Amino acid sequence: MNTTEPTRLPEPAPLETGWRPSAVRLIVIYGAFFLAWSIVLIGTISWQTTQYLDGVVGQILEQRVHYLATVDREHLPAMMAATNQLDLRGVMYFGLFDANSAYLSGNIDRVPEGLAPDGAIRQLPKGLQTTSGQSEARALGVALRLDSGDLLVLARYTSVADRIGAMTRNALGWALSLLLIPGLIGGYLLSRGPLKRVRAIETAIQPVMRGDLGVRLPLSGRRDELDMLAAIVNRMLDEVERLLGEVKGVTDAIAHDMRTPLTRLRAQLYRVQQHSDANDPRTALVERCIVDVDSLLDRFRALLRISELEDLRRHAGFAEVDLGETLQRVHELYAPVAEEKGIALALVAEPLPHVQGDAPLLFEAISNLVDNAIKFTPARGKVELRASAQSSGTRIEIVDSGPGVPAGEREAVLRRFYRSRTTSGDGDGDGAGYGLGLSVVAAIAKLHGYCLEIGDNDGGGARMTLYCWQCASAGARSA
Amino acid sequence: MARILTIEDDPVTAREIVSELQAYGNEVECVGDGRAGLDHALRGGYDAITLDRMLPGMDGLAVVTELRRAGVDTPVLMISALSDVDARVRGLRAGGDDYLTKPFAPDEMAARVEVLLRRRRAGAPDTLLRVGDLELDLIARRARRGEVTLELLPLEFRLLEFLMRNSDQVLTRTMIFESVWGYHFDPGTNVIDVHIARLRRKVDAGDGPTLIHTVRGCGYKIQTAE
Repeated sequence: MNTTEPTRLPEPAPLETGWRPSAVRLIVIYGAFFLAWSIVLIGTISWQTTQYLDGVVGQILEQRVHYLATVDREHLPAMMAATNQLDLRGVMYFGLFDANSAYLSGNIDRVPEGLAPDGAIRQLPKGLQTTSGQSEARALGVALRLDSGDLLVLARYTSVADRIGAMTRNALGWALSLLLIPGLIGGYLLSRGPLKRVRAIETAIQPVMRGDLGVRLPLSGRRDELDMLAAIVNRMLDEVERLLGEVKGVTDAIAHDMRTPLTRLRAQLYRVQQHSDANDPRTALVERCIVDVDSLLDRFRALLRISELEDLRRHAGFAEVDLGETLQRVHELYAPVAEEKGIALALVAEPLPHVQGDAPLLFEAISNLVDNAIKFTPARGKVELRASAQSSGTRIEIVDSGPGVPAGEREAVLRRFYRSRTTSGDGDGDGAGYGLGLSVVAAIAKLHGYCLEIGDNDGGGARMTLYCWQCASAGARSA
Repeated sequence: MARILTIEDDPVTAREIVSELQAYGNEVECVGDGRAGLDHALRGGYDAITLDRMLPGMDGLAVVTELRRAGVDTPVLMISALSDVDARVRGLRAGGDDYLTKPFAPDEMAARVEVLLRRRRAGAPDTLLRVGDLELDLIARRARRGEVTLELLPLEFRLLEFLMRNSDQVLTRTMIFESVWGYHFDPGTNVIDVHIARLRRKVDAGDGPTLIHTVRGCGYKIQTAE
């Protein structure tokens, strides 16, 4: 016998994790755009300011150097010193060097590197060596060869321009962080609301997935997109419920309408039987007809019973059920039947905790499974009714040594009226085949939220497992 | 002869019920509406009532509730197109009444009415049941056929008790299963037949006349020779 994955009643799969609300994505995208645009803006402003202020500084330097070039050589140091007096902020520097670049006067100690004596404004990359020390701050400088052969050097720190640039950058940085941080926090908080509502919708839709079509999604009354979506789903559910109701209604109506003529047929046959002679060969024929009509009526009864079980949503009949006792009673009921067929029916049960359920219906479900197992097991075979206490609840297994259920037919046997091909040959009017039995079991399991699983027995044969806990919603599919 | 009230709105079904019950030698009155039915039933004088669950005027379950409130304890056989998974149906059965789902076999319906009638007539609870030379002592939980004591399992004892309480009366497999096991579904295959066969091997083992009879196409009956 091939060992394949056991089949369970179809059950809704839970939503996997890792979902992100659309608000978060929008905020992140928007934030990234905003950040990039702000950086471009700050860059442009600070670059333009620096350019402008450098131009101004350059102009001042140019004017001074040309003015000083016209002053007499002997008055030059004094004039330089005098001009320096006016520079209150100490940003202007002067230096006079001889032809060999040796210091003559002024507050610049050495000719700055990279400064050609052509009267053009230049950046001083290495800073400035002044009488008060070396400074790495950015500065602009100009050098001019005087007619006397001496070198006049003027320099000015561009610290003002730099500070303005820094201020612009700082200001925009602050503004950005003040925008972005509350924006991100706000976005997170905003996204939590819809997420919570989506979770609420998920919870609300669970009963629908379990087959209770009367449930609708909650509307917040905010008339936003989530409400809109929920309203659309609710409209869809109305339609689905109506359609399913129609289909079920048709099934029920057929079963219902057929019953009256069948009942009359049964009654008339019965009357014929009552009035006919026991020796008449036709009496036997009538009797066989009655048996057939009876089995037909039984099917209709079972069909309507399943229909009503599926409709049953309330758990009013639920009480403490001693499954151990139920199993013993099932064993007591079927042991003689098994013995008659030459099958050993064994009950292997651990002490079991009580469950909340409908005792007669659970008895019926287990009986059906045992009845099926006995029906499909050949003589000298064995059927075992096992029960064990698992951490999540009680597991009941009905294992037989019959032909087993082919993997491809497992889902189908749970449907109404399905009959396994392996058994259709016996043509026994006794209701061979799974018939409605397993559908009844499935309906009872579903009513309790239990799972029914059809699998293989290790040594061949079928293994029907009833997990007596709320597993239908937990979605434990693989076994 | 028992007086029976049939409350049923479908004329064809009503005719079936009436003619079948009359065939069993009962006097039957028929009403087609819930409220009128309740009035009749309250006036009393009936030994049993068959009652449709879905009636114009008044729901069948409400009729029973009203009857019991008025202190009328006439046993009721409720006949319904609805199956019996409803909790209220369990309440009905717990109260000593019976429930039969449509479609039903008329003979089964009549048999159920007979059981209700007999339970009503029984009066003081029996302590010793006797059919021919078969004796069942309900106090000592002992069974005896002639001089031979029968070794019965508790389940077999309950089964024999039910048969003997309703001796000379046809009992369908469903009725036996419902009364002895207390469950209301079709146990399938030939479960009841097997249990009866086992009981029969113990009860009818000796030379004496057969007591447990099979009624073809219907069920079983315990009685002394025809």
